[in-house]
Amino acid sequence: MENVLLQIFVNLLLNSPWIISLYGLLVYQPMKKKALKEREQASVKYGSATALTTLSTPSRPDEIQAYKLLVANVVMSPSWIQTFGGWFRSLFGGRINTFSKLLDWARREAKQRLVEQLEASGFDEVINVRFETATLTKSKNRDDKTTGFEILVYGTAVKY
Amino acid sequence: MDNSLNMPFSNTETLPGSTILQSHGVVTGSTVRAKNVFKDIGAGLKNIVGGELKAYTELLQESRNEALFRMCSEAASRGANAVVNVRFATSSVAGGASELLAYGTAVTVQ
Repeated sequence: MENVLLQIFVNLLLNSPWIISLYGLLVYQPMKKKALKEREQASVKYGSATALTTLSTPSRPDEIQAYKLLVANVVMSPSWIQTFGGWFRSLFGGRINTFSKLLDWARREAKQRLVEQLEASGFDEVINVRFETATLTKSKNRDDKTTGFEILVYGTAVKY
Repeated sequence: MDNSLNMPFSNTETLPGSTILQSHGVVTGSTVRAKNVFKDIGAGLKNIVGGELKAYTELLQESRNEALFRMCSEAASRGANAVVNVRFATSSVAGGASELLAYGTAVTVQ
């Protein structure tokens, strides 16, 4: 009896990275993405999702009362399964689906944060929106060990 | 945005609703930040699951505010009262450290 318990315990300990990362891939990340989708739909309903533009001129330039620079950022990291999958895929070349999905998620998240800041501050429109991407690396092995990447979105919010 | 100098800045070429009288040249503000050991360990653990690294998000936000503040204080020391066309750039100078740079054009507006 004790042997069986010990065996289960040892198995669990050895397999815990697998269990946790499968939980991350199959439960945690889809949960976060679903929550993001709901937030996006809420701002579409609110009408602020369409208030972002990359043009540098506001739609009503004569009636501006106030303006403010809004900055939103997010740091996203791939799980080690995704990193391994990306490395494996890059042997053959072609589209690396895990990374493109993760980048798309991060960018949508950052954009949604900008939209939420716009809603909270009571401004009407964000003009001249720009995206920046940067990678964060580990301090020890500095070449290809990517910890994560940062997406930065900024723009000028104006009030009519 | 943390801006105790109370200087208006925007990333458009002109300040919305006001005219530019004089330009004072390019002003920059930068800060180099390294993540500490505990946050690195936390990020390493998060790499098992994947997803957002909240500690880094906040750290970079604070550093960017500091870069903006330095940019504004340089503009103030030149006698400008606003900064237009603000841009951000990030570069990694050493292993775990990254430089956050904010730059723009210092101007006098009406």
